[in-house]
Amino acid sequence: MDRNKAWIETLTAQGKAKPGRALERRGAFVSGKNGRFVTDGPFAESKEAIGGYLVLDVETIDEAIAIAQTIPGLAYGGSIEVRPIAEECPLDVRARELAREEQLATV
Amino acid sequence: MNTQNQNGYMLLFRGNDWIKGLSPEEKQKVTDQWMAWFRRLTDEGKAVAGNPLEREGKIVSGKNRVVSDGPFAESKEAIGGYFLLDVVSIDEAVAIAQECPGLPYGVRVEVRPVAAECPVASELKREAEFATV
Repeated sequence: MDRNKAWIETLTAQGKAKPGRALERRGAFVSGKNGRFVTDGPFAESKEAIGGYLVLDVETIDEAIAIAQTIPGLAYGGSIEVRPIAEECPLDVRARELAREEQLATV
Repeated sequence: MNTQNQNGYMLLFRGNDWIKGLSPEEKQKVTDQWMAWFRRLTDEGKAVAGNPLEREGKIVSGKNRVVSDGPFAESKEAIGGYFLLDVVSIDEAVAIAQECPGLPYGVRVEVRPVAAECPVASELKREAEFATV
């Protein structure tokens, strides 16, 4: 655990990581129209469940991956999902693509 | 469940393909509502961070630090973005989650308390205390 803390402190000192946090295991799930279904976890299967996050301020996915590869928890069965933060909402982009496809389809 | 948490809450938006099959007007409506919702929460000081995520990405796993492409979870379970909320009760976080404009279209919102310290570290401490009793 101390290794994990040291790992994050190093990245933060290098200006590569913004504050990240661990998440408690409990929580709630909201779904359905108007959010009428509120249930307790479990969310994903426990090996897929999200335990925490870190926002990295790096420019390439290769650099982000290289950082992910140095996380101490990997040796014990953890895995890390590396996702680029979108410049604009992918929904907007996808909506435009679909609109274009529909337009083409009607031509 | 302890319902007070000073560290805030994270909303994880699950579902990646729900926009398919909506009319262009509907899509525009939902994305506008989503942006307005986030802006309002930010103005109220309740949302402190939030980002949409690109769909593609990588997974790093195992002792050998193997890198593979997605898919991460099935597309209805995949995380499309998150909000970080500065509210103290899970009831308030859930009430905010219930306002999510994506809900009628199948989006599900996971509400998670942010931990003061890593839960694994707390467990280790508890075990150590127990061992010394």
